[in-house]
Amino acid sequence: MLLIAGGVVAGLFGSLLGLGGGILIVPLLTLGFGLPLREAVGVSLVCVIVTSGASAAVYLERKVANLRLGTVLELFTAVGAVVGGAIAFLLDERLLAGLFAAMLAYIAVTMLRGAARPSEPSKPVEADTVAPELVAPEVVARSPAGPELAAPAARAFVRAMSAGERLSGVDYQVHRLGSGAIGSVGAGILSALLGIGGGLVKVPVMHLVMGVPLRVATATSNLMIGITASTSAIVYLLRGGIDPYAAGPAALGVFLGASLGSRTAHRIDLRVLRLLFVAVLLYTAFEMLRRAVGAS
Amino acid sequence: MAGEPGGALETAIARVLTVGTYASVALIALGVVAMAAAGVDPLAPAPAFDAARIPGDILALRPAGFLWLGILGVLATPASRVGASLIGYLRSGEREMVGVSVAILIVIAAGVVTGFTAA
Repeated sequence: MLLIAGGVVAGLFGSLLGLGGGILIVPLLTLGFGLPLREAVGVSLVCVIVTSGASAAVYLERKVANLRLGTVLELFTAVGAVVGGAIAFLLDERLLAGLFAAMLAYIAVTMLRGAARPSEPSKPVEADTVAPELVAPEVVARSPAGPELAAPAARAFVRAMSAGERLSGVDYQVHRLGSGAIGSVGAGILSALLGIGGGLVKVPVMHLVMGVPLRVATATSNLMIGITASTSAIVYLLRGGIDPYAAGPAALGVFLGASLGSRTAHRIDLRVLRLLFVAVLLYTAFEMLRRAVGAS
Repeated sequence: MAGEPGGALETAIARVLTVGTYASVALIALGVVAMAAAGVDPLAPAPAFDAARIPGDILALRPAGFLWLGILGVLATPASRVGASLIGYLRSGEREMVGVSVAILIVIAAGVVTGFTAA
């Protein structure tokens, strides 16, 4: 029951703040329930797929997600997910904990800076999307995408796809598909290592680098999360990295929490919730850092 | 341009995602109920994944059977969505997208091989 309740809270928070459940599930399972980090990541990947599945369907039916762009980019996130899934079992758990702590601290700081800006009217958000304030220029600067990194294979791919023209929407043009492809590989690796959907990288890359409107980028990222997370989750499953007794209650809880969050977001003042969430993130980052240096 | 020829495709894929997700969650929910009924602690050592044991576990109403089948459903839903896209692209004659969809399925298969190789 505690695990279901924890999952509900993670899913609810994630849905209300547009971050997805994965960000909180891994710390919940490792710090709260004592699960090894790698098993927690495996469970989190299952939760991430569950929550993104239902909302991706809604985005597709409403024609918000760009199916063709998502299909092309998820080829690259899937490649990253296989690589990340293989690497995850070679890395020391303390290094993974350190990476997770850095990601949590980054999200907390970016959210704090976003809160300092004039607020916009809150709107309902779907599970496993990315909060708008996380889409800042520095996100792109730190993302693996960049013209100087464009590999020959990616450039050849761009040519084959007519420079993204066929992937563009009715009222926007897709640019720099090569950079998008490289960013997607990075998102896949990050997802596999940390048990998150990877929207943290995908949305900024699509929006700021490729010129996709934020709403479409968020919806398309949500669609891609399924393939990203399931590809690495398969590696985890076959290597014994998914515990069904932990995954079942956690996934059920996150699914319920995310469903509840998407229905209640418009009725809640997100400012207080955001600050509370930042405090939780900072505390969790600190605990993860302690784990990384072997203090807990 | 995306979305122009594929309105029906998007709807069909959305249906695959909805059915796959809800069916998987229902199986997981059954597994969680079975866990509660059998007094299984979520932190207790869980049986390793063995696809051949799932039918027997389900017939015996053991929680692991429902949970593993639900988890397999969760993992298979996105790949099924790509399979549905592939059929749609084949029908509409979008050769590049057919190639991309096939490539995704190949990468997923590579994930299976990677998992088995080190298992």
